[in-house]
Amino acid sequence: MQLDRRSPLRARLGAAACVLLASAPAAPAAADTSTDPAPGASATQLELSGLVYGEKGRTDVLEPTVRVTRLFANGQSLTAEAGFDAMTGASPTGGVASLRTQTTTSASGQSTSIPASQVPTAMFRDQRESFDLGWSVPVGPFTATTGGHFSHEKDYRSLGANAVVTLDLLQKSVQLTGGAGMNRDRVDPVGGAVRGLTPGDPLGTAPDPKRVTSMLAGISRVMSRRWLAGVSATREVERGYLTEPYKVLDVLDPATLETAQQLREKRPELRTRTSVLASSTWHFGDAGGDVGYLNYRWYTDDWGVRSNTVDLKWRHDLDDRHWIQPHVRGYSQRQADFFRYYLVQGEPLPAFASSDERLGPLRTVTVGATYGFQVPNLPGEWSVRAEYLHQWGPGKLTRPQAAVAGGDDDGGDAANGGTVDLMPAVHIGSLLVSYSIGF
Amino acid sequence: MKLPRIRAGAIAALVVALSSPAAVHARTAPLHQAPAFSLPGRGGGVIASDSLRGKVVYVDFWASWCGPCRRSFPWLAELQRKYGDRGFQVVAVNLDKTRDAADAFLAKLPAPFAVAFDPDGRTAEAFHVSAMPSSFLVGRDGAVIESHTGFDPKRAAIIEKRVAEACAP
Amino acid sequence: MRTRMARTRSALAALLLALAALASGCAATIKPWDRDLLAQRKMKLVPSDREAATDRHVYFSKEGSTGGAGVGGGGCGCN
Repeated sequence: MQLDRRSPLRARLGAAACVLLASAPAAPAAADTSTDPAPGASATQLELSGLVYGEKGRTDVLEPTVRVTRLFANGQSLTAEAGFDAMTGASPTGGVASLRTQTTTSASGQSTSIPASQVPTAMFRDQRESFDLGWSVPVGPFTATTGGHFSHEKDYRSLGANAVVTLDLLQKSVQLTGGAGMNRDRVDPVGGAVRGLTPGDPLGTAPDPKRVTSMLAGISRVMSRRWLAGVSATREVERGYLTEPYKVLDVLDPATLETAQQLREKRPELRTRTSVLASSTWHFGDAGGDVGYLNYRWYTDDWGVRSNTVDLKWRHDLDDRHWIQPHVRGYSQRQADFFRYYLVQGEPLPAFASSDERLGPLRTVTVGATYGFQVPNLPGEWSVRAEYLHQWGPGKLTRPQAAVAGGDDDGGDAANGGTVDLMPAVHIGSLLVSYSIGF
Repeated sequence: MKLPRIRAGAIAALVVALSSPAAVHARTAPLHQAPAFSLPGRGGGVIASDSLRGKVVYVDFWASWCGPCRRSFPWLAELQRKYGDRGFQVVAVNLDKTRDAADAFLAKLPAPFAVAFDPDGRTAEAFHVSAMPSSFLVGRDGAVIESHTGFDPKRAAIIEKRVAEACAP
Repeated sequence: MRTRMARTRSALAALLLALAALASGCAATIKPWDRDLLAQRKMKLVPSDREAATDRHVYFSKEGSTGGAGVGGGGCGCN
């Protein structure tokens, strides 16, 4: 299969994800009063981090970031963050695994041979720059934070702004949070935008920008001497061109169940998302004891995607300057209404369809641990986090035996007696190294 | 319709709920007379309010984990040094759960004044301590002249003036 | 479609009740001198901003859900 494309919209990082709170500067309040060997009531905090991320047989990402926070005498603070993402590798096209060896070609002429019964992917290389700015002002018991975000990729640009207000009551026993944000993303697909559910008919115009408005409300409360709890809810509305311009759907021949045609995917122009997060932190024992962090998030949207996430972290201090924090996360997602592994020739075309795995029925399990340490005689704190993610989904396609036996130009390579995995397991490893120092 | 009822009910619950912690704290009325106390001190001694009668006492509630407390100690030491010979006594009441934590703090910050230990918080309770740190300026007759929460270097000069006034006769 | 709307409504109602419970005085009000453990830096709802931001990033690109931004709170409550 020839695919005339360059880099896919692998991840719209920096879009809705960064709108709210994410880019808000860390509140300086707690650092003042800690018993831990903290950087102190410093006026400037610098944090450097580097992420190395790899998906087996697919994408590799390298992402360094730098963040500077400056605390002023009047209690105000300013945070600036810059990040750079270098991505390379192979991304699924949305097509189904074939019983024969396939070939995909990227726009740069690079050919990839896809072995039989493997999900077709295409090579890409991309880079992204991002900048975030946040300014925090304390006003009596309130703290008002405003933030701005900008990120840029070859074919994508994102601009965002947000404002968050927190109210501290009862000596910070209770904290109320309210926030709102807006994002405007422009996509400029390589080769021009294409009409959805067609083989590649040009759209004719530039795609509408993607506008996202978000709202957040939350409360956190000191429940007891050792227990902190919080609940927050987020609502996001996305409008505009929400389709992934390079993803395709295979249309299968009803007799052989082999791909007869490929159509570009099509998604609605409106998406309303709601999520509720319940968090709990519990301190065991006395000073120096372990701390457990438990989160549960419930998510739903009007595309039919529903998910449950459970996240557990366990912090154990080895001594004053060393600690470990194992981590486990489980995620389960129900597919979008218009998710299809493939379409079948002869059946009426749906209004919307996508075979993007991210909208499919999938599960992710993450296991990892962070090790935090201070180097003797060197100021600052280090942390290293290693994680393994395992993502998989159901979905198998069994082809009639006749198709398996036939020879063909690609030198037929049948496997598994005609059954292929439509969402094979993905293995991901990541390493995050951070260094933080105060002046 | 279901929604307006749920919404009204939830808003009512929220309003009632939010008012309860406020109601609880309204009970902590300002003190007029400093409560009596008798607490262990350093070196095995006892620090009792009885034996402080006739002195101007600055009762300061602190803990090792409280940042502003760290900053207030040098100032307290200075106050004790200046007014000590006029019948002034700083009594720093420690509220750490364990003596070790308090000792570690005292090892790093000199405390040339009286230090008392109240790990159960009973004296803090009697003084209606509402935040950390809290301090009470008590006159020679045992009446509370004024109280403060937190430590703000800008207010320190004003407090010192009050101390000087109280020590005058 | 109608059942999903009804489910979202009851979920939001449950959320409001949870918020009310958290805001209420049912849990005993904490004494200022009992905040020794809460004063530690590790006593937060979100242990690390950087890890949380990286997670948001990674899971946004691998999964279909978003949201779950945390809130702050706790600490020693000192003035």
